[in-house]
Amino acid sequence: MNKVKIKSKNLNVHYGQKQALFDVNLDLNEKEVTALIGPSGCGKSTFIRCINRMNDVIDICKVTGNIEIDGVEVNDENLDVVSLRERVGMVFQKPNPFPKSIYENISYGPKIHGKGDTKSELDEIVENSLKKSALWEEVKDRLDEPGTSLSGGQQQRLCIARAISVNPEVILMDEPCSALDPIATAKIEELIDDLKKTYTIVIVTHSMAQAVRVSQKTGFFHLGKLIEVGKTEKIFKNPDNKMTQDYITGRFG
Amino acid sequence: MTKEERLKKRHSAEKRFRFYGLASIFVALLFVLILVQNIFSKGSSAFKKTVIKTEVFYNQELLELKNGASEKDIINADFYEVMIESLIKSFPAKNIDEENELIRLFSADAEYEIKKAFLNNNNLIGEKIILDLTASDDIDQLHKGNYPRDLPEDRRRISNFQLAIYDNFVENDKISKNFNNYYFTKGDSRDPELAGIGGAIVGSIYSILICLLLAFPVAVLASIYLEEFAPKNKITDFIEININNLAAVPSIVYGLLALQILLATIQLPRSTPLVAGITLALMTLPRIIIPCRASLKAVPPSIREGALAVGASKFQSVFHHVVPLAMPGTLSGTIIGLAQALGETAPLILIGMVAFVVDIPSSPIDPSSSLPVQVYLWSESAERGFVEKTSATIMILLTFLMMMNFLAVYLRQKFEKRWN
Repeated sequence: MNKVKIKSKNLNVHYGQKQALFDVNLDLNEKEVTALIGPSGCGKSTFIRCINRMNDVIDICKVTGNIEIDGVEVNDENLDVVSLRERVGMVFQKPNPFPKSIYENISYGPKIHGKGDTKSELDEIVENSLKKSALWEEVKDRLDEPGTSLSGGQQQRLCIARAISVNPEVILMDEPCSALDPIATAKIEELIDDLKKTYTIVIVTHSMAQAVRVSQKTGFFHLGKLIEVGKTEKIFKNPDNKMTQDYITGRFG
Repeated sequence: MTKEERLKKRHSAEKRFRFYGLASIFVALLFVLILVQNIFSKGSSAFKKTVIKTEVFYNQELLELKNGASEKDIINADFYEVMIESLIKSFPAKNIDEENELIRLFSADAEYEIKKAFLNNNNLIGEKIILDLTASDDIDQLHKGNYPRDLPEDRRRISNFQLAIYDNFVENDKISKNFNNYYFTKGDSRDPELAGIGGAIVGSIYSILICLLLAFPVAVLASIYLEEFAPKNKITDFIEININNLAAVPSIVYGLLALQILLATIQLPRSTPLVAGITLALMTLPRIIIPCRASLKAVPPSIREGALAVGASKFQSVFHHVVPLAMPGTLSGTIIGLAQALGETAPLILIGMVAFVVDIPSSPIDPSSSLPVQVYLWSESAERGFVEKTSATIMILLTFLMMMNFLAVYLRQKFEKRWN
């Protein structure tokens, strides 16, 4: 069992009057893939957006409770979100490469964080990031082309490379394959399997099969509450909670 | 109703709609065509001026100059006598009245044209050269066919004697039409043949530049702040509503405001491009903010999130990613706003730009005219020569506007990034 990397305690999130998360207590282990499943609108995405404070962007969103990464409180007002997001990368549901070249897409993060001051250092970071995201062979000859000219699956791997480029500790993935075809999905899953050796990964998914394939730990959310969390095998073979059982067998959701 | 009937009705509704659409486009084009045709037919002749080939004799006895005289001496010298002598010789006149009528065939600037030729070549003392002297407005209009010569003499500005001279000139091939350089280089004048839009163009350019320099940065920064940084609350809602209201305020109200604040209170110089530029900037500001905010809004939120997620600060995500993507739309909105400002007349009239300004402004704090105000001024003048000048100036103004609008469309199409 790996050590706990991220720990949430009594995490509550409100969007205006509406409460989106209720007292979520969830531990995420280092260098492991944790899958979050549950019906739409159950709070999975809200939860992972708390980890890198992406909810700050939403004016009406109010987060209370604690989230710690390596024992450091994330919800601390004095915490610098820029350095937090440098440590916690994120990949979104829809591939969102910048409308710039493939090279610039990846070099942007290191540049703003002052990593890679010289061109050769940046070249190296770009190459390594693309290799880690298994895109290097496909794009090495056309790094000047716009990132938006790639196929959907390639764009998503580009976004993963962009997240890797600043050398984070945690990568959050918000339904990274929902806009992709099965072949591209298989590639991303393979990639996730590979990345977990280096990074702590949290993935939100609607596909049970995907959760089974990629994750070691699974959490089931329903209506803003964390219903059950445990080893992926146990959750899918022998869940304790009846609701979890109903959901994974497709009886609701 | 049977299925066939319904289908038929649907098809005929579609046909009717297509017909209405085509008819509307046809009507719109027809109006444009009438406008363009009208302006063009009246205005195109203003780009030519009538000149009379005249032999000028730089008679030593009438000039206090020597060959090789300095520029200053030439400018100070009096060429009036030389002009009179040369003009009178161009046609045999019997008495002083006829001589005066003869001289009135030429523009008031004939003396300066003779002087200018000497400035270009200061070794002309005692020489005779042929110069193209600008004809007076009456002869100009007569030669362009705009003057009714079959009226009785007492109702004509041109006497029978003058008509006879004109016919003689035409017969001897002395009269011709040249490119009207005066129209582009001179300022306003009481004499239509000497009036030009040079001052108005310079005044308009100064005004628009000041308008751009003031309105663009303020509008862009205001838009970025309101769209990206400002909290969404009642105050920002109120500001947004008021910006939209300001864009709809009639331009003459801005003129009144400028009259009260800029001229009466701050006492900036009247009739100047500086005041015009500030007034137009006030008017253009909301008209740039609206398209700028629309372009910022059109940048998908996923771009902002992507930047934030790699650890860009709010400022970096906005200025590295959002603003560059919004720039094409902002620029084209700005150019269209400026084009509107360029054609604006009412506020400029209120701040005194209707003044009669002969000199071409050398700085934004010199009194000046502007293109639309020049159109307004000339359209009120009685002389026939100003009719063609009015239409020609409208053509110039429309050309500028079209160029700006084409530039706006070009910028948008060339640089706008598309995302799926």
